[in-house]
Amino acid sequence: MAKKKPKLADEIREVAKGWRWGHRPVVPRSAQPHTPPPERWSFPTDWARTEAAGAVRDIVLDLGLRPIIWNETSPEVFGRDNLDGVKAPVMFIANHTSHLDASIIMTTLPKKWRDKTATAAAKDYFFDVWWRSAFTALVYAGFPVERGGGERATHKAKELIRDGWSIVVFPEGTRSPDGWVQRFRHGAARLALDMDMPVVPIAIVGAYAAMPRGRGWPKPGRPPIRVYYGRPLHPREGESHQELSLRMQHALAELFDEDRTSWWEAQQRAARNETPKLTGPSGPQWLRTWEGSRPIQRRGKPPAWK
Amino acid sequence: MGRPGFVLEVDERTPPLLVHEGEAFRLQKFPLGTRVIYPPDSLPAIKNVRGAIRHALANPCDSEPLAELLKPGMKLTIAFDDLSLPLPTMKSPDVRQLILEEVIELAARKGVEDLKLFAANGLHRRMTADELEHTVGERVFRSFYPKDLANHDAEDHDNLAYVGKTDKGEDVEINKRVAESDLLVYANINLTTMDGGHKSVPTGLTSYRSIRSHHNVHTLLHSRSVMDPRPGRSALHDSCARIDKALKDNGLRVFTIETTLDNEIFPNPFGFMNKREWEWSVKDQAAYLAAKKVNDMSPSKARHQIWMRIRSPYGVTGVNAGSTDAVHERTLARLHEQQLVEVNGQSDVLVIGVPFIGPYDVNSIMNPILVHCLGLGYLFNMYRNKPIVRPGGVVILFHPVPWEFHQVHHPSYVDFFEEVLAESTDPATIEARWEQRYATDPWYIHLYRNSYAYHGVHPFYMWYWGAYALDYVGGVIIVGGDPKACARMGYRAASSFRDALEMAGETVGRSPSISYLHLPPFEIADVR
Repeated sequence: MAKKKPKLADEIREVAKGWRWGHRPVVPRSAQPHTPPPERWSFPTDWARTEAAGAVRDIVLDLGLRPIIWNETSPEVFGRDNLDGVKAPVMFIANHTSHLDASIIMTTLPKKWRDKTATAAAKDYFFDVWWRSAFTALVYAGFPVERGGGERATHKAKELIRDGWSIVVFPEGTRSPDGWVQRFRHGAARLALDMDMPVVPIAIVGAYAAMPRGRGWPKPGRPPIRVYYGRPLHPREGESHQELSLRMQHALAELFDEDRTSWWEAQQRAARNETPKLTGPSGPQWLRTWEGSRPIQRRGKPPAWK
Repeated sequence: MGRPGFVLEVDERTPPLLVHEGEAFRLQKFPLGTRVIYPPDSLPAIKNVRGAIRHALANPCDSEPLAELLKPGMKLTIAFDDLSLPLPTMKSPDVRQLILEEVIELAARKGVEDLKLFAANGLHRRMTADELEHTVGERVFRSFYPKDLANHDAEDHDNLAYVGKTDKGEDVEINKRVAESDLLVYANINLTTMDGGHKSVPTGLTSYRSIRSHHNVHTLLHSRSVMDPRPGRSALHDSCARIDKALKDNGLRVFTIETTLDNEIFPNPFGFMNKREWEWSVKDQAAYLAAKKVNDMSPSKARHQIWMRIRSPYGVTGVNAGSTDAVHERTLARLHEQQLVEVNGQSDVLVIGVPFIGPYDVNSIMNPILVHCLGLGYLFNMYRNKPIVRPGGVVILFHPVPWEFHQVHHPSYVDFFEEVLAESTDPATIEARWEQRYATDPWYIHLYRNSYAYHGVHPFYMWYWGAYALDYVGGVIIVGGDPKACARMGYRAASSFRDALEMAGETVGRSPSISYLHLPPFEIADVR
């Protein structure tokens, strides 16, 4: 019997398939109780905050991501002037409904801010395989954050803030399943208090309708997305992290209210403490999803022939 | 504390699994639902082995400390397991070297002058000077070789002492020097539960006349399993225990030192073979690809050299000394901790990747008879209670089974394969018609005593080891096996695992339950 020796390419293909190269490694179900959790190794990201990497990031964002996003969606940005006169570092917080969010923030931040802004990204998702880790680190100046919270989760963030880096944080911890804002985790507020840094709220309206969870590309038709930069919130003397967290949510809600109506009306409602909440309607899950995914209205001049 | 062994059920997430096939290996996809039996992780190794040996000698089980047994003017003999253990050969220093050095140090301090050392090779081939030196260490070798360090000679009738018969009529004949010694110190390596205990002396230091009483078809057919030496489970071990008792009744005093090893069989760059596949790092995957490619591309001689030069980085997990029974009980407990895996129920098909080495091809060639012995004699028997495969089930082995023999080490094997197996594969028929002739053939005896050949009867024993499996299973299929060599042994060869399963379907149906015994490292399935 002539024995056919397998070719190296076939062997590599077999290993690549068996060990899911480029994908999250998985453990056979029956082996899960017998397999220790993976070692707490962090993909090194310091290289992504060097000047050279920053230059590459500018090219990728300005010549790659921005044209794509501006071509596939119709973003509008408001309130960037709120950053004028603010001293870095700050914490940018935003609602999180889509993979577009980080890209939108990085492509709408003024250049001088973007050069010194890093994005907190979930370690278990964005830093699981090398190529995703490298992409996150390079394009978003991303650094890994463990979702469990605690000192380990914020260690890197504190190091960066001390170095003068502003950070982008999504206080919900993960993307919204229905488009509505979820409960804020307290880690962001705690960090802002610990580091005594201003918090700049960013409301991203329409990203869920444009590219919700489960989609890898925006919906066709250039769906509108509106981004509102709010005024910075400064931690107050003796303020608890719960109180700051609540203020952050209110600030975000005001920006959404501003989108829905006008800046003036939103201010009035806020003064009366009547700003609509962002937690969405109570009721069955389908209703929340239904309402959350409602396409936002396009703005702009009416067509000439109307 | 290492993780215990467990049974994996292959699902769509399971990567292809490593399968050994002689001096090669492959990744093999198994059907969904296949049970894969994985050994426990290595137990923590003893850091200070010399200290542990000293402690064991000073605090033995059920015996006075060795120092108290050693007296000036006494006749002391030290025997140790031969090169068939451990597998592969252990990286230097071999634990036997450490034991011998401690024992000899004590003997020297106690004024013992008449000291001899024997490799307990029984009917195995003599160890070469280099092999002896690797086992006992340079210092012991330089002090004792060749005058007082030798291989046991089971055909040197002037130096054998006939002790008598056991109550079951088994002949007891032993090395005369051992019989005349005031104390025999036996140093072993208990790689599997089959080794050690009462089996060490009755197989390692006796003669054909004595060994034939337990190495025969009847005994091996009634040894279920040979890996379970509890009384009544293995006729082989029961017979050895009777012989050992007869020796001790006749005045032989034995101080037993047993050691157990962990599961660290493969050194780098083969370290990935010690791991569970889904835990392979990128480095392990690269090491697999590189090792596989180099191995596949190497000419067979170079490949053979690579494998034969593997020295395992074993860690020592236990050292016990004292009376044979008390020591072996502790040894078995430690081995069970290291190797036992609970398995629920039997399956229709048992799959085993036969590795590159067995006890009788160290620095040699694994010929087809040794493949039979390793696959069906030893690996099939890696169970307690019940075999992993059901009665009438199918065993699928992976091995190329080359029609190749080592002319120096295995001369009688060549004739056995060409002459005996050509006529019959039935162990009982073979035993009745040919065994005596081969066992007493003067040329084989000459080669055994003066060259480095296994005894003339050895291939018979290899065939008998598989007697129970041959009787028990419904078929044996060898994936990748040389069809002619397989046919000579009554097996069927398959070109691929898929074909083998197809062929097995004729015996066990179209959708059989499959168990894959994932080794080495070695494990024992405790089948419930």
